[in-house]
This record gives sequence, C-alpha cells and structure tokens, in this order.
Amino acid sequence: MNPRKLLALTRAGIMESLQFRLGTFVTLFANLIYLVLVYYLWKAIYASSGVDVVNGMTFTDTMIYLILATSLFNFLEMFVVWDMSRSIQSGKIILDLLKPMKFRRYTFWSYSGSHVVSFFLTFLPTFVVVMIITHGAIHMGLNLIWFVIATVFALLINFNIEMLVATVCLYTESTWGINIVKETIVLLLSGASIPIAFFPDKLKTVVEYMPFRGVYDIPLTILLQKNGSDTLEGLLPMFLFQLIWIVILTAAGTLFWNYSVKKITVNGG
Amino acid sequence: MEDYALVMKDVCKDFKVLNRHEGLKGSIQDLFSRDYKTISAVKDVSLNVKRGEIIGYLGPNGAGKSTTIKMMTGVLEPTSGEILVNGKVPYKNRTENCENIGVVFGQRSQLWWSLPLIESFKLLRDIYMVPKNEYNDMIELYKSLVDIEPIINKPVRQMSLGQRTLSDILAAFLHNPAIVFLDEPTIGLDVSMKDKIRSLIKGLNKEKNTTVILTTHDMGDVDALCKRIVIIDKGTKIYDNDIEHLKSYFGSYRTLHMRLADDTWESMLIDEKETDIMDVIMRKQKETKIKDIRLEEISTEEVIKKIYEGDAA
Repeated sequence: MNPRKLLALTRAGIMESLQFRLGTFVTLFANLIYLVLVYYLWKAIYASSGVDVVNGMTFTDTMIYLILATSLFNFLEMFVVWDMSRSIQSGKIILDLLKPMKFRRYTFWSYSGSHVVSFFLTFLPTFVVVMIITHGAIHMGLNLIWFVIATVFALLINFNIEMLVATVCLYTESTWGINIVKETIVLLLSGASIPIAFFPDKLKTVVEYMPFRGVYDIPLTILLQKNGSDTLEGLLPMFLFQLIWIVILTAAGTLFWNYSVKKITVNGG
Repeated sequence: MEDYALVMKDVCKDFKVLNRHEGLKGSIQDLFSRDYKTISAVKDVSLNVKRGEIIGYLGPNGAGKSTTIKMMTGVLEPTSGEILVNGKVPYKNRTENCENIGVVFGQRSQLWWSLPLIESFKLLRDIYMVPKNEYNDMIELYKSLVDIEPIINKPVRQMSLGQRTLSDILAAFLHNPAIVFLDEPTIGLDVSMKDKIRSLIKGLNKEKNTTVILTTHDMGDVDALCKRIVIIDKGTKIYDNDIEHLKSYFGSYRTLHMRLADDTWESMLIDEKETDIMDVIMRKQKETKIKDIRLEEISTEEVIKKIYEGDAA
C-alpha cells in the first residue's frame, strides 16, 4: 500500500467534487426541506405522547439526532452501486480493472476525495448551525474526537456494504431494485430515519447485532454522549462492534469480489 | 522467450450461456433453467509477438478479438492454454501485469472527465509510480510528437472526440509500458485526425520500442502502421504473416478497369493465378471497343473483405 497512489486519488476526487459546487448547494437546500418535514412530524409525535421524554430522548435530542443523521447520511452516501452498474453496462469497468491497484482499494480511494469535500461543505455547516441553535446541547470535548474516529469506521462499514451490493450487480446486471432495497434497509436499520431508541424491543435486539447500527447510530450516540458513551467503558464496546464488523465485511467482501470478478464478462468492444 | 513481449500457446476460451426461451413464459422458465450451452469464443490460438513490433489484430465483428485482448490484459482467464505477457501470466499477477501494459479503447476514456488533462496525467503518474524525471522526459517527448499545448489544460469533457482519443493514447503510454493495446483507436475520427493519431502511434513505438497490438476495422490504420497482421475468424486464427504476403496469399488479385465505347468504366476483380488478364481484355474487345485500360493492385481493404466473407479461403 503506497500512500502516493492513494493520496493522488484523494486529491483528484477533491478536485472533481469541487467542479460540481451547484450540486452541493442543491443538497443543502433539499436537506432543509426534509428537516422542516421531520421537525413537524416529530413535534406532532411528542405532542400526542403528552410527555417530554420519549424512550429516553427529549424532543431536542431527537431533533439533533435526526438533523445530524441527515447530514451524516449526505457525508457518507456513496454511489458505488450506481457507478459500478453503469460502468458494467457501458463496459468502462475494464479500464478500472486495468489499473495497477487492487480494485476495491482503487474504488475506495477514488471516493475518498468526495467525502472530504462533503464533510466540509455539508456536514460541518449543518453541525455548526445545530450547535448555535441548541446553545450547547452538544458537548464540546473529547467526544468530538471519538466521533471523528467512529465516523471513519462508519465510512468503512458503509463502503463494504456498498461493495457487497455492487458485487451482486455483477451477476444481475441490473441494479435499480437491489439498490433501493439496500438503501431502505440501511437507512431504517442504521437509525438514520428513526432513532434506534424508538424501535420495539424485539427488533431492537436484532438490530443491535447488525452492522448497520455502526454506520449512523454509533457515531451519533457518541457525539451526543448517550448510552454511557461519555465513559471509556461505554465507548470501547461501540468501537469494538464497529471494528469487528469492518473485519468481517472486508474479508467477506474481498473474497466475494475476487471470486466474482473471475466470472465477469465485460460488455461490448 | 525473453525476446517476446507476448506469447500465446493453444489458448481457448469458452463461455457458458443460458439457453433463453421465447416469450413471457420462456422468460419465467429461464429464471430457473439450468440449460446451458457452451460457446467457444477463442479456439487454439497461438501467437508470438516480438518486442517493438506493431501487429494488426483483425477479424470481423464477433470473431473473438475483444475476448483475446481481455485475456492478454488479464481481465479474463483462458479456459485452457498458456499466455505470457512480459514473461508473466497476466491473470495471476493482474496488478503487476497492469503496470506493464497500456490500453486504449476507442469508445471509452480512462481520463478523469471533469479535470484538465494535465491532472489526469499527474494522477496516472502517481498511480503507476512513474519517477518524476521519467515523467518529465515523457511529456517532452509528447511535445515533440504532437502539439499538446491547446489540450493540456482543457477539461476532458470539453474535448472533441479526436482530442480525447489523442489524450487517451498519450495517457496509455505515460508509464512507458512494454505493450500497449489499442482497440479501434481511430473510430469516428476525421481523416486528418486519423493521420495525426497514426503518426503519433508510430512515433511512440519508434522512440520507446513499445509493442503495439492494434485491433481496428480501418484498413488505413493497418496500412499505415502494421508490418504484420493476424486475422481471426470464428475464434480461430486464419492468417498470421506480413501484410505484403496477404495480397498474394489468397490469390494474386488485381482490379482491371476498362473504359468502353460509351465512356463508361467497367471494373472487375481478377485472380491472375486462374485467369489471364489479356484473355479478359481480348474477349471484351470482341464485343466492344475499349478506349482505355487501367490495372490496379488490390487494396488491403478488399483482401480483408474477401477473407471475412470467406471467398478466398
């Protein structure tokens, strides 16, 4: 693994993302509309429940959680599945396969630049706005550093899930349905659309063990210092959970990809 | 073996294809079907290519050219047989093999769409770990061969097809690979651009002694670049020799043009091994007056056409 190759890809990714400034602003605007909807929806939920604290979360907690989940979603969102299915259909994938790097590594680092850009252009502004509006509801301390680490782990888990689904597309050669299913599952089970604290107990137990929680729920829980993540004893199991899933998914993804790529036929030409 | 950039020995490639059924009912059946048939795309192809050679790798559409190229680059594994590229088995050492080959697919681009060309070059330089001085030498060489000033700072998406193809060829040679595969590099280009591309390929091959495997349907490319051509059809190699031999190999064909009494030209293709040209002229002269006669060597294009259509074999 040579850093020169990897950083070159990150650099190019940053430059490419910056070409599409308009897209970033449209994303921010779309988020705003979504958040207005979320605000009134949850306001109604809390009003009808008649209590201030539902499932251990106040209305402010829930709002902060969901706002940050949305911007985290924009930051983590990858288009590996879309891009890959397009390049399979056009046959362009052969050019990526012929780069002198492992394909998975090449793909990951090609996307890294766009994550850097969206971190600064979408996540950070949202975070600052939330921070100012809620007057210190978010603790400013070590939790920020833990959050960054957890987010990097989340990025790796998310990439591995994307790659697994993308590999399935090598066989099906059609993507739309599979990708929608994947997106829905990830968004629901990761706690990005509804905080996991609100899940029914049985479902919660299942979700606790699934990798999706490591993508949104764990970083946000750490940031908001919930579930004992303000202590080292509470923090360690969460990081361990993420790390174990990274190892499992990376191993499974690599094996599946290496096996599948031998079977592919590249279209056209 | 060391002298060869590419060695193929009895290479075969089979594909398993599902037997598809017709209609809606058939499509539903296909979901559960285990009814496969085997198609052999490449059959017992052997080929040796020396370092620095430019070979034209020809064949009609669907002959198995792309499949062969994909095996040479290591994307596909042959069903049987041996391939060595720079002395290594390509699909086993894929990453290593990729460092030593360059590819251009005429209809696709490996350049970064929204970035200026120079950024793609820098990125490829880092991905292929090209030392700075070698990179600079290469850019100097490019400048001496083509006028890259107008395109070097241009984003790839704003380029014309010709400029983009030119850039893609430069990008494929950037890490000074031992072999470059060019798949229809002049497709869709105008006459003058084709000419530019051809002289660029020739120049790079001469300067760097790069082996070039060229697949194309444009016989102009073949005439301009290749001394040796290899033709495959239905997965089998049917010709592998000099381009000069090609014309005599399948019969000594020449085209006879005659201007008749009513000032119309009549042309016919004649195999001199079988028919005597003088006989033809004399026979014609008995029918009508011949005002003018012209004899033409057959073009490569016509020979290839005859081979593809199966007349000559």
